[in-house]
Amino acid sequence: MTEKPDGNVCIPEERGQFVLERLQSTLNRAYRNVPFHQQRFQRKGIDPSEIQSLRDVQRLPFTTRKHLSENYPYGLFAVPLRDIVRIHTAPGTRSNPTVSGYTRQDLQIWENMVATALQSSGVTPDDILQISLDPGLDTWGRDYQSGAESLGASVIPNTLLSIEKQLMVMRDYKPSALVTTPSYAYQLATHLETKGVHPEDFNLKKLILVGEPADPAQRDLLEAKLHVRTSQHFGLSEVPGPALAYECENRSCLHVNDDHFLPEIIDPSTNESLPAGEVGELVLTTLTTRAFPLIRFRTGDMARILAEACDCDCRLVRIEWRPERNDRLIRIRGVKVHRQQILAGIETALGMTPQQYCLFENRYRGKTYLEIWIAVDDSLFSDEIKMLEDRMKTVRDQVQEDTGVPVIVRLKESASIIACKFV
Amino acid sequence: MLKIRNLQAGYGKLKVLKNISMHVAEGEIVTIIGANGAGKTTLLSTICGLLKATSGEVLFEDRDICVLAPQKIPALGCVMVPEGRQIFAALSVEENLILGGHVLKKRGKKLLKQQLDDQYELFPILKERREQYAGTLSGGEQQMLAMGRALMSQPSLIMMDEPSTGLAPLIVQAIFKVIVKMRDEGKTVLLVEQNAKAALQVADRGYVLETGKVVLQGKSHELLEDVEVKRAYLGKDYGEFYDGKA
Repeated sequence: MTEKPDGNVCIPEERGQFVLERLQSTLNRAYRNVPFHQQRFQRKGIDPSEIQSLRDVQRLPFTTRKHLSENYPYGLFAVPLRDIVRIHTAPGTRSNPTVSGYTRQDLQIWENMVATALQSSGVTPDDILQISLDPGLDTWGRDYQSGAESLGASVIPNTLLSIEKQLMVMRDYKPSALVTTPSYAYQLATHLETKGVHPEDFNLKKLILVGEPADPAQRDLLEAKLHVRTSQHFGLSEVPGPALAYECENRSCLHVNDDHFLPEIIDPSTNESLPAGEVGELVLTTLTTRAFPLIRFRTGDMARILAEACDCDCRLVRIEWRPERNDRLIRIRGVKVHRQQILAGIETALGMTPQQYCLFENRYRGKTYLEIWIAVDDSLFSDEIKMLEDRMKTVRDQVQEDTGVPVIVRLKESASIIACKFV
Repeated sequence: MLKIRNLQAGYGKLKVLKNISMHVAEGEIVTIIGANGAGKTTLLSTICGLLKATSGEVLFEDRDICVLAPQKIPALGCVMVPEGRQIFAALSVEENLILGGHVLKKRGKKLLKQQLDDQYELFPILKERREQYAGTLSGGEQQMLAMGRALMSQPSLIMMDEPSTGLAPLIVQAIFKVIVKMRDEGKTVLLVEQNAKAALQVADRGYVLETGKVVLQGKSHELLEDVEVKRAYLGKDYGEFYDGKA
């Protein structure tokens, strides 16, 4: 058994040894270097040396997004700051953003992982790959860029473009692969139709969907409208990054890169681990991350582990990613936004807490927005329409700035909000 | 070839190895590096049965060798070159080598002779000094004798404890060249070293041991580039290591 980067140690028993070694050294480092992890282990009366099998990981405490916010900014770093070469910031669940650090080696591993995932999606050095992600997924833009560059593909990095400019790039630069969210791909497809542009005017062949799960019907639609082959990647926008699971050539499931992550599925109501085949919350433990080790991180994403082996050669763990979530996050164009964070934005803009409101994802002319309904009550009411419009515009700008996703704000009667299923 | 899972061992109440898991694949040179007192020698002593493990398993070619008496282990093909050589000073070089080949005794003198010749070919200096008392050899020659003695039993895995200790840099270089040669000839090597740089330069993979725990593992070239390893074991800005994160 030799250790290969992003390789597959195929014999299950040997693979178990390889993963256990990485898990144990990760726990030893996290315990030694991060007081947060040490205290939580001690509170549960566990010493890392008691973790003697991959099953024992179930005894360890969970890490949640709340913990990431509470330890803002550097509380969970496991190496001295001078070893950190990149610091990423992602919107947190509260007022504090989530900060994660990467050592040079972490970035190298990440680059290899993204490159492997892109390769699985059929990207080759001959491709021109464009990355088009919302500002909330900026960090992924950088990771995809380095991964694709290391593969030798020509990269058009992530830049915020109007849909018209986007069409121009696709027509003139002829990217053959595009990394984007299903929402944006849908917007693009709708726009093409509206403008009467034929997809054959482009050279786009591969569409890599990230940020949100796309169901088979959605994918069929995108493939038909854009004349592409789609593939799906899974990642976490806060930490540690994109492409930690990806589809193989068969496109029947996602393969978790378990050289670097140990996946578990838990029942969110009992916190107990679930066997393969059952749907639950995906929990991840990092195996190689040096700067920012995560121990049993609750992703909020729902998934199930597939026990049957895939037809492809790859022996990585297979999962099915489900659209539902197990937390108060709303996924807008692949960006995860916490309700608490949106409310904080509304409060800042209005100077008060709205009595009734609801938040949901909605689509207009192909574009996905975060829609906010606020009930008009006495404290908000004004007989001047302009004043009301101004206040709504302030709310929109504030939430857009905080979350990095497009926002529509509407004033509604209280009854409409009560009737809204998203309250 | 060698697979260790959750190994714990110590001396009396003193726990030294705290849940060590590691493996050595056939044809690899794997090194274990770490500061004084990290448990490197204890680990080797436990593998070769000199110290009883309190828990865990050591599988050599899928056979648990923890339950075997230490003298039974070399016959399976797993030998150790101890720290400080520990050759028999009052015996000649050749007698030392023949002792190393005692497990071959039953297989005839011809094989023993062949093994002796192989060692003389690998270490020509030993041939020159074959009649000399081993105690009169220089440090480097003694190390070569210890290695030759271990190789006499035709092991598939050879474990070496601090082969560079007390040797001049040029001699260390020569010894490490022989280690690489042994690997190239099909042997598997587990190398414990304080001289982390030299060890990582010849090894394929490495484990970093700290207070009886593995804190890092990886390919040697990655560990050589690792800032933490550089600071702690390769002598780069060591003083700054403990002055906090910020």
